[in-house]
Amino acid sequence: MRARLHPLTALTAAGSVAVITVAADSWLLSLAVACAAGVLSVRAGVAGRVLPAAAVILAPLCLSLLMLHGLFFPEGHTVLAQWGPARVTTEGLGFALDLASRTAACVMVFLLFSFTVNVPDLVSALEARRVPAQFGFVLASTLTLLPAIAARLDRIRQAQESRGLVLRGGLLSRLGAVRLQMVPLVLALVDDAGNRAQALDARGFGIGGPRTSYRDVADPPAQRRFRAVALLLAAVAVALRLAASWPAAGLS
Amino acid sequence: MSATTRPALLARIGGFTFHGDARPVLRDVGLSAAPGTLTAVLGGSGSGKTTLGKLLAGWLRPGHAGSLMGSLELGPERLVFHGLADDPRINPGAWSRRVGFVPQDAAATLSTVRSTVAEELAFGLENRGMPRADMHAAVAGTATLTGLTALLERDPATLSGGELRRLAVGCAAITGPEVLVLDEPLASLDAAGAVQVRDLIRGLLDAGAAVIVLSQAADGLARTAGHWIILDGGTVTASGPPAQLMGAPELARSGVVVPDMPSAAPSRRDTSTGRTGAAPVLELRTVGFGYPAGRGSPPEAREEQVLRNLDLAVDPGEIVAVTGPNGAGKSTLLRHFNGLLRPAAGEVRVQGSSIASVPVGRVAASVGLLFQHPRDQLFERTVLREVSFGLRGRLGVEASVSRAYGALAAVGLSDAAGTHPAELPASQQRLLALATVVAREPALLALDEPTVGLDRHGLDLLHSAVEAATARGAAVVLVTHDVAYARAMAHRILELDGGRLRQV
Amino acid sequence: MSQQSLTVPAPGQAAGRGRRLLEIAGAAAIAATYIFLVLTQPADIASGPVSFSALVALGGFLLGAVLLIVAVLPVLPTSTLVLIPVALVLNVVLGQLMGTTGLPFYFDSIGTVLIAVLAGPATGAATGALSSIVWSFFNPTVLPFAAGAALIGFLAGLAARGGLFRRFYLAPVAGFVTGVLAGVVSAPIAAFVFGGTSGLGTGAIVSAFRAMGDTLLAAITKQALISDPMDKAIVFAIAALLVYALPRRTTFQFPFVRRYRVLAGNAPVAAPAPSKA
Repeated sequence: MRARLHPLTALTAAGSVAVITVAADSWLLSLAVACAAGVLSVRAGVAGRVLPAAAVILAPLCLSLLMLHGLFFPEGHTVLAQWGPARVTTEGLGFALDLASRTAACVMVFLLFSFTVNVPDLVSALEARRVPAQFGFVLASTLTLLPAIAARLDRIRQAQESRGLVLRGGLLSRLGAVRLQMVPLVLALVDDAGNRAQALDARGFGIGGPRTSYRDVADPPAQRRFRAVALLLAAVAVALRLAASWPAAGLS
Repeated sequence: MSATTRPALLARIGGFTFHGDARPVLRDVGLSAAPGTLTAVLGGSGSGKTTLGKLLAGWLRPGHAGSLMGSLELGPERLVFHGLADDPRINPGAWSRRVGFVPQDAAATLSTVRSTVAEELAFGLENRGMPRADMHAAVAGTATLTGLTALLERDPATLSGGELRRLAVGCAAITGPEVLVLDEPLASLDAAGAVQVRDLIRGLLDAGAAVIVLSQAADGLARTAGHWIILDGGTVTASGPPAQLMGAPELARSGVVVPDMPSAAPSRRDTSTGRTGAAPVLELRTVGFGYPAGRGSPPEAREEQVLRNLDLAVDPGEIVAVTGPNGAGKSTLLRHFNGLLRPAAGEVRVQGSSIASVPVGRVAASVGLLFQHPRDQLFERTVLREVSFGLRGRLGVEASVSRAYGALAAVGLSDAAGTHPAELPASQQRLLALATVVAREPALLALDEPTVGLDRHGLDLLHSAVEAATARGAAVVLVTHDVAYARAMAHRILELDGGRLRQV
Repeated sequence: MSQQSLTVPAPGQAAGRGRRLLEIAGAAAIAATYIFLVLTQPADIASGPVSFSALVALGGFLLGAVLLIVAVLPVLPTSTLVLIPVALVLNVVLGQLMGTTGLPFYFDSIGTVLIAVLAGPATGAATGALSSIVWSFFNPTVLPFAAGAALIGFLAGLAARGGLFRRFYLAPVAGFVTGVLAGVVSAPIAAFVFGGTSGLGTGAIVSAFRAMGDTLLAAITKQALISDPMDKAIVFAIAALLVYALPRRTTFQFPFVRRYRVLAGNAPVAAPAPSKA
């Protein structure tokens, strides 16, 4: 288990690939990256979660892009078809393909990262890199609270139904029911947060000064070198893109 | 070291007032805790026990949470507070390293950011920069003390109530504090869990810590204390050795539950059977139920049948108690009464007709179910609106208001009609939740652990509310792990064991 | 483990200046990026340079959001810090709950606004930015909008400080204005990073403006001006509803609420009984 990727290596890899893909601006590369991420997710055994999550995000976006640029692209010259104000142009379709594939690549790469990373390892690694402990707290606490909240909301609904609340009817009564569920939820969360703040303070969370970590996350030298190279490549890609496009984007 | 003569912690509280409050919550409270001794602070609901405990442990900081007049003395160091801006400011991290606090809701101490019990224990040490090797040794030592060694790699979110309480004690004890304050350490634990926590406290005392227990029951643990302090209305009404205070009028007035005291109700099983021969209000016929494998709500119930071929009939006016250890499925059984859970086999009949296809909200008209956590049940802006909820449609405006006031009077909350429910103390929230059920006059009252968190006054009110309900012909089923209470209240006691009910 | 003093000195003012500079730098990075993008927006987006704008938008806005987080996060008192995960969870859960009502809005910032009203603009900004970063664990496309989310939290806190939550009808007005600003600032992200919007409904509105010959950025900005103010007005109204449904004991425990008299009415007096908590 310790032989696996250090969480920062995975994060750096995902970030660098995303940046390079955006900088390269080639739909072929984008599609290749998206497919590679898909293959990796299958091999990591998380395809069952990555692919549906990606589909939910990407499907409406891609349809929206296709409708928007496929039909309305005033900058396009090569008209393939035309109905009234709507014009299908090669440039518009190409633009939609560029952006859809680019977003797909980035979404796939980052989802692959977040569904494979071990969050406690990531938090521990961030804290070891002097990222404020507060950031790790917010990240890990949110991920812990989310499933607990779903369970709590269910308990609230059960308790309220037991008091004769029938969840049914039109928009207004539904809104009313939502309000009734929100109030105990928000109240309990804010109250718990107050208690947790006292407990965290008591356990020295806000004490300042040096911190140590109980969890030991292995960080082999090879992975450090890999991270340096990946960051360098990303920086070069960004620099090249900026240099190449700057005049074209100048104030004209 | 003259540790045996000098108190580890000495507090003199002239008065403590929360910001925004007009009256002090605590006044004229003195407390002294010597190393290796157990002190019990006893008081009813709303007596200020928890505030006192948090104040002693630096969870409530003078100046930050409220204004304190008085002094806190920890070993040789003495802090004096005048309620002014230039008062000393307590450093919570440093203070709590030496005075640990374990709240009643043990889950509240968890950091929510550590994924194993071991890391949760180490959290307080990480923040203080202890080297990793020392930390491993400290975690191993504390795990042995708290009996958590076998659980070190578990996710804290999956622990049972008793395990969670021991983890919370471990988190407070791992820094080696001189003083430990435990708020209701035995609340809602079953017999096995309570024994483990009591052993743990014994171990802490043997290690030389001064332990202060806050409790609203003069239970077995409190009786082993060397010194009692009785808190009533925010002030000390009596203090001294337990033997001297056991029969004191101050103890009786304070609302502290004294388990051996003769109960207000004579044991009912001697007087009558309760069964009237009328048609049963509730009938369960060969009910079977199991949580789906993998994601069962109670972890102990996974894949296994929780209820098996279970029969139960409850007559009008009858009080039935269901007991059993934590995790036996008592709450699961209760949730079948109004359809929150639907049986996999068999059928549930309320007042003679099956509820199989009736929505929960409709069954609620005849079955009033009271949960363990009152906060989940309350959602209105005022106590009166809370009790009136759902009545107006059935009774009309005037009748619903008078019914609501009647229910509030029955639980002693008439004066609080305009208060926000969340501003009531926890025990009064439970009583309010009871009032919301009683006001609807259901044919069946189903109560899940109704005694937890109630002081003596609350128990008396609960008792009379149950009496009133049975007097008008309602049936009552109560689920409790408190066998003594069940014996005092119920006509019949059934034990849930292996998915079936057994007459005790 | 060193023996620490049991008391701490009174908080000083000196440490605040560096933080303030970081905050200003963060806000400046966001503003400069926006101005740069609008001034240099490619006249012809078809010929590739949209990649350049995307990199600038991502880099500038994320830098701004990170600076804001770095400035605010380490100095937040623990009592405020623990509210941020609560806000994030509420953003998700209340967003979903409201989704069940079938109304065509996002409602993904209710928690941020609620916490901003209780704890102030700086906390609100950090909450908004962090919300985007943490939420991007499940949906990476929200990450680029961190700056816009920070702006929403900041403006909500500002509105609360200015007393706009004292009267119920002013809260949606503040939300409307917030929506205008947040929509305008987020438009370059939608235009240059994603090339459009993620919804079919909003996509149709953008299409309509494009059909009239607008540039992509202009079309998306106009679309944002149609949908965002409405969404934020409702979100602010819901947050106000929730704040007033909470007991005063809870809301008045926040120093920000007490100090700026954020809510109507006076602090609670003569509480009925000492709280257990």
